Formats: sequence, structure tokens, C-alpha cells
Amino acid sequence: MPHAAEPTALDGITVLDLTSHIAGPYSTKLLADLGARVIKVERPGGDPSRSLGPWLNDEVGLERSGTYQFLNTNKESIVLDLKSSAGREVLEKLLSRVAIAITSSPPVVAERLNLTPEALRQVADINVLSLTNFGWNGPYRDYALSETVLYAMGGEMFSHGSSDREPLKMGGTASLIQCGAMAAIGALGAVYATEVHNITQRVDVSLFDVQLNSVDRRSSAIMAFRFSGRINSRPEVAGPSTGAGIVGVFPCADGYVEMTASAGPYWKRFAEMIGHAEFTEPKWQDPNWMNSPEAREEIDLALYPWLMERTRAEIWEAARNSHAILAPLFNAADLYKDPVFRERGLWTEVEHETLGSFPMLGRPYVLSETPWAIRRVAPSLGQDTTVLLEEVGYGEAEIEKLRSSGAVA
Amino acid sequence: MSAFLPLEGVRVCDFACVWAGQTATMYLADLGADCIKVENPFVWNPATRAAAPVLPATAAARLPAWMAGHPNGDPGPRPWNNSPAFIHVIRNKRSFTVDSRRPEGLAIVKSLIAISDVLAENLALGTLGKLGLDDDAIRGVSPNIVILHLPAYGRTGAYVEGRGYGAHIDGVAGSTILRGYRDTSPETNVQTFAGDFFVGMHGGLAMLAALRYRRQTGRGQTIELAQAECSASMFPQSALDAAWNGRVAGAIGNRSTEGLVPNGVFAARGEEQWLCLSCRSNAEWAALVDYLGRPAWALAPDLSTVQGRRKIEDIIEAELADWIATRDRDELFRELQQAGVTAGPVLSAKDVTEDPHAKQSPAFQRLQGTEDYPATEFPAPSFTFSHSDVTLRTPPALLGEHNEYVYRELLGVNEEEYGQLEADGHISTTYAPEIMGTR
Repeated sequence: MPHAAEPTALDGITVLDLTSHIAGPYSTKLLADLGARVIKVERPGGDPSRSLGPWLNDEVGLERSGTYQFLNTNKESIVLDLKSSAGREVLEKLLSRVAIAITSSPPVVAERLNLTPEALRQVADINVLSLTNFGWNGPYRDYALSETVLYAMGGEMFSHGSSDREPLKMGGTASLIQCGAMAAIGALGAVYATEVHNITQRVDVSLFDVQLNSVDRRSSAIMAFRFSGRINSRPEVAGPSTGAGIVGVFPCADGYVEMTASAGPYWKRFAEMIGHAEFTEPKWQDPNWMNSPEAREEIDLALYPWLMERTRAEIWEAARNSHAILAPLFNAADLYKDPVFRERGLWTEVEHETLGSFPMLGRPYVLSETPWAIRRVAPSLGQDTTVLLEEVGYGEAEIEKLRSSGAVA
Repeated sequence: MSAFLPLEGVRVCDFACVWAGQTATMYLADLGADCIKVENPFVWNPATRAAAPVLPATAAARLPAWMAGHPNGDPGPRPWNNSPAFIHVIRNKRSFTVDSRRPEGLAIVKSLIAISDVLAENLALGTLGKLGLDDDAIRGVSPNIVILHLPAYGRTGAYVEGRGYGAHIDGVAGSTILRGYRDTSPETNVQTFAGDFFVGMHGGLAMLAALRYRRQTGRGQTIELAQAECSASMFPQSALDAAWNGRVAGAIGNRSTEGLVPNGVFAARGEEQWLCLSCRSNAEWAALVDYLGRPAWALAPDLSTVQGRRKIEDIIEAELADWIATRDRDELFRELQQAGVTAGPVLSAKDVTEDPHAKQSPAFQRLQGTEDYPATEFPAPSFTFSHSDVTLRTPPALLGEHNEYVYRELLGVNEEEYGQLEADGHISTTYAPEIMGTR
């Protein structure tokens, strides 16, 4: 049981987490990290995300998955076979003790296992949030999604990449994790409504809808089409541009920097950053000049040598001194080793009962009164099964029977 | 009848700009907060209401569609009320104008803060302080308020002076280096803003949590959300692989971080028709092979496992590319899904408006037209609540649309004062002549 030394924002809220894989567990991780008690129900064998890398010290193992470790901090784990009547009975006892249950079963599976929002709300007067691929209605209701297909259909993949090649996905499993964040808002919104209005309700979130309304260019691209008939598409020449101002990713001595220096104050900051006095002449605020090949050549001759003689760290420092709109491209190792982010606390060293200590990617935000904290590492499979069964009233002999029948583990 | 809104009675003093900040407060507005945008008619906040305060149709046409596809391609006299880039994050909010740089304006802002439960801002670091609104000053007026700051890289540490938009912050968060073709350098990456979306949601969630704590205890607090740090949580796999194993991931094109094979985007018949396909399991691969008619290349026993398929991933992709090239995208999508294979079309913005599932989705709601834009389908909250009216309840706030409400109803400004504030340019539905370039 997590014991908070310091107050948490979501003290007293209990969540029954029936989700698996990536999006659902990220939503409940956010709630758990803010202090909610999250009881994670795992199927026999465990959440499939336990089979996803990276692996701690490159050793594969049930408890060594980086994906699982990240997504399940501060949670408790109980293993239930929801297909068995005894497992179902345990589920129902747990349901009566929580403020909200969060599910990610596809509609057909939920219907088969009697885990639909209506079915759960019949067991107990609680909030239920369902996270599905395409919602509970419509022609695609029972279609499957992967991270990439989700971004292709829901997100603005179409305009990501270059026009002569295929559209591109985002890095990692970003589109799924984004959807988890949205589900967390919905879940906390429902619990909040319970505390204010003394009502419980059903909240439905679909991955497709979340990406359709993504602020990462998607809402804008769709609005733009509805308004003007213009279709947002991949640019013809992918690469940095130094005509009519500077936009894009540029090489430097040890990597790349992303830079924006269109005419106006940003241009002045850019000129100051590279210390090129000629760039402060008035013609550099004239769009006609800026669009000319001569201007482009002058920029290239000054800019590229300046960049290639400097490291990302040196360039970023110069940019900060001039407030130029520029940042280095970090890779994951840069982010891990960066002394500034380390000192601020982006990484947390956690202590695992059997695995020893290891670093964990830390907090998305700093709350002054109710600190974000990993009070407990991700649970090992079924770590809390016995304690939770006792808590809902099972005796030692009954627990033994449940275990031997395979209903719990 | 009650709308059962979670945040009924909660007021937000909203200094948020650009996407991340305006998105964060939008979620509070969606959940029922009275979210009041504080807007200065003498200051143009870049990338907050439109690309520019004066935007001729010819200039708009040169900008990307998402940024400047205004109604009929013509932004008209008030681009700030009809920009496709920003109009959607102003839904369910109110807008009032005040020049907070002048003493009487600052007094007005402070009186709004005094009756607010939340203050949210992501102005360039130090801007609020210069106005005389640092955290101490804010708490002097409203001791238990929740304050949200969204600095790019934090309010402490060596990077505090770093300036950037979403694309730059994505660079530091490790997003940019992870997306791209496998055979090109990051120089060819176009700007995306995944972090703005992610940060916006986390800002909304953090404020919601802080409001809940305040409701329980009466105590407010300050939230510092460093955008680059928050965005790093979008990529835990690569971050932990670097931390645990010293491995540095780069772009993998459209291949799968989860190790699925195949996983890619392929050209279908016709122009700009792309099909995305993933086999999430060996069973899905078997279903794909059956659907393909069991061609010889796909039948090697090795290929029934993902490890085997990974060894010849290039070949599988080339075979699939050949096969998909002559097929109809949408037909293939439906047939593959029915056969048990995860696939989907890459939907352009236009495709979304014609897609049968998107058309019936609660993601969009009809919005009445105004002088500045025609009636249209509009992005609605991405969750549906069975009891609470978490919907598109009020249209995007036009600049200064709620001046009467804020000044008269909320702040009790009398007729004479109102007239004076209007004469002095605080109260306006347009930007000042110096912003419009007419003086």
C-alpha cells in the first residue's frame, strides 16, 4: 500500500484499472503518480506490455520491461481471471470500493466478458471510463488499431514527411501515450463531478477521436479544409530553408539544431546570436529582399560556417543569450545525461525489491504542495493479490482455494 | 436543470498563449470552468490568435494550410477571429481586453485575479513579473489560487532563458530525432508539435488535480510544468533504453517501436492514397498471409514468428509495397480489418470530412456561423460524459466578446468607468492602430 509521507493531490481516490498495453496504463499512471490509489487488474500471465522492451540491462524478464516499469509506477497489482466466476466475484467486490473503473477492452471483448460500462455500473454505483479504439458505435467500432495505424487515421500523419515519399509516424508510441493523457483528464473530471454533484457517470474516450482533435496540427488542418478547401500536405522540399527567413533543422559540429528566424524581432535576435552586423541592415526586414537568391546566399555563407564551428551546447548558449528561437536536437542519451535536467529532477533513482536500483524517467510537472513522486515502483505480477483479497473480506482458506483454481494469482 | 459540470463555479484567469497554454486551459473550460482570456489590444501575441493581425489573402495563401486556411482563403479584417490554427483552442472560453501594462489596467487584472481560482500562463519567462504580477503579487490578491506556469525548460537551471515554440521544445525533448525516414538525416524533418498537445493535456490535468486538492483542503499551489521535461514522457522506451543500456535510438521510419513486423505505410492505387498496416501478432500475420492468397514468399516457416519476420523485414515490406500498389486503399482497409489484420488509410484532412466513421463521431459538433466564419463542424471535447454537459457549449470567444460580462457583471465597473476604459482603448474588439499598422 503506498504510504504518502507528503500530501497528494488525489488522496482518497481509488481507481480500478482494468486497462492494458500502453494508452490505458498511461492514464492510470498519471492518476497514481498524483496520489490516487490505483488497483491494476492483470490477466493471468500479466499485462502484455510486460513483453515490451527496453529491458533492464538488456535482460528479458517478466519484471524487467521498461515499457511496463514506466507505465505502472505507484500501482498495486492483482491477477484475476475474469473469465472465471470466482474471478468475477472478486472483481465485483473490488468495484464496490472504487470511485472509478477504467477499461480498455474492445467492445466485443467487453460484451463477451460482461465488462461493458453498463454492466460494471450495474454492479456498483461508480464512474466508468472506457477507452476504446473507435467508440461504441459506427462502422469501425470493432476494427483494430496499432500505434501507427492510429496516427495514420486519427492524427496528422498525412502532412508529416516529404511530398515525394510516404507519410511518417511520430517517434516511439507517442500517439498512444497522448491518448492516455486525455483519458486521465476525462477520468479525473468524472471523479470531480462525483465530489461536487454526488453523481456517477459513464465517460467514453476513443483513441481515434483523441487523435482527430489533436492540437498537433490535426484540428488546424481539418478546420483549414472545412474553412478554405485547402489540404494540408507534405512539403515539396523537405529540409531547412534559408529563404524568406530561416526555418528548420540545421547541422552543426556535433549534431543538429532547430531554428526559426523570420523577419521581425526574431531576425534581430538571430543576427545578434551569430554576431553578423550586416544582418541588422534594414533590407533584412524587407520580404522582397529576403525572398531573393542573393539574400539566401548571404545567409548561407554566414550561417553554415558559424554553425559548423560550434557544438550544440555552444550554439544553444549563444541563442539563450540573444533569446534567439533555437534549440538543439537531443537524443535520449543527451536527455539522460544533461546536467541541467538532472539537477532539476527529471530522473528519479528507484529501488526495486528484486532488481535493485535503476533510473526512472520522472515527473511531467512539479506541484509545490502535493509533490509528484514515485512512492512505489511498478508492481511485480500479482504482488498485491493476497492483501487485496484480504481487504475485500476473503479468508486464508478461501484465498488458497482461489489460487489453486487459477481464478487469482 | 444542472449541467453537472465538474468545474461549475471555478474561474480561470487565462494568460495562456500559443498552443500548449491555450490547450491546457481549454480542458478546464470543457469541464465547465468560467475560463476568461485576458487579452491586450496593444500587444500582438505571436501564434496565439492568428499568424498576423493583418493578413491579406495573398499572404495567407503562401503560409501552410493549417496555419492560414482561413474561411474561403481570405482572413478578412479580423484574422484573429477565424484562424484555423487557433480558433479551436478558444472554444468554451470567454475573452476580455485590457492593457495590463497601464496602472488602471493592472488594477482591473488584479480584481479579476481576486475572484479567480486558477491563473494559467505561458508567456515568455519574466513577462508577468515585469507587469507586476509575480507569484507573490498574485497571491497577495488571491492567497489560495492555483497557478500554472508552462516554461519551455523550467523556471530554474541554466536553460531558463531558452526561447522557442513547440517544434524547438520537441527537439530538446527527444521527439524530433526519433521521427524521420531511416535513410535521411534529421535535416529533412518537417516541424511538428506533438509536445504542444501533450503539454496542454498535462497542464489541464495538473490544474484539475490541484483544484481537487484545493477543494479538499482550501490550499492552492503553484504548478511548474517544464514543457521539454513533460514531453520527454512521450518517449519512455528510448529514454529508458539510453538510461539502462546506453543505447541511443534514432529514426526508424514507420517501423514499430514495439517490434511489430510488418509495420509500415504503403502507396495504394491512385494519387496520395496511403495504407498503413501492422501485424500486432503472429495470428494477424497468418491472417494476412491467408488474405494474400498464401504466396510462396510468405510461407517460409521462419516467418510465423516476429523474430523470423524481422530478419527479412526489407523483403516483406517490398512484397507488400508491390501488392498494395495496385489495390484500392479503402477497399483494402475494410477487407484487411474484416480478415483480422490491423490496417487503416492515412486520412488527409479532406478524407476525415468524408470518412463515414469520423462523420458520426462525437469528436465534431456543428457550430453556428458568425460574421467572421461560416457554420461548420468544429472540434468538440474528445470524451463523452453521460451526465455532465462536457460538450462544445459556447463557440470560440471572439476578441473582446465578453468585455461587458467581465467588466460590468464580474467586476462591477460602472457606466462612467466603462466609457473611460473604452475611450482609453482597454475595452475593444479589435487591436490598436499600432498593431494594425495603421498608425
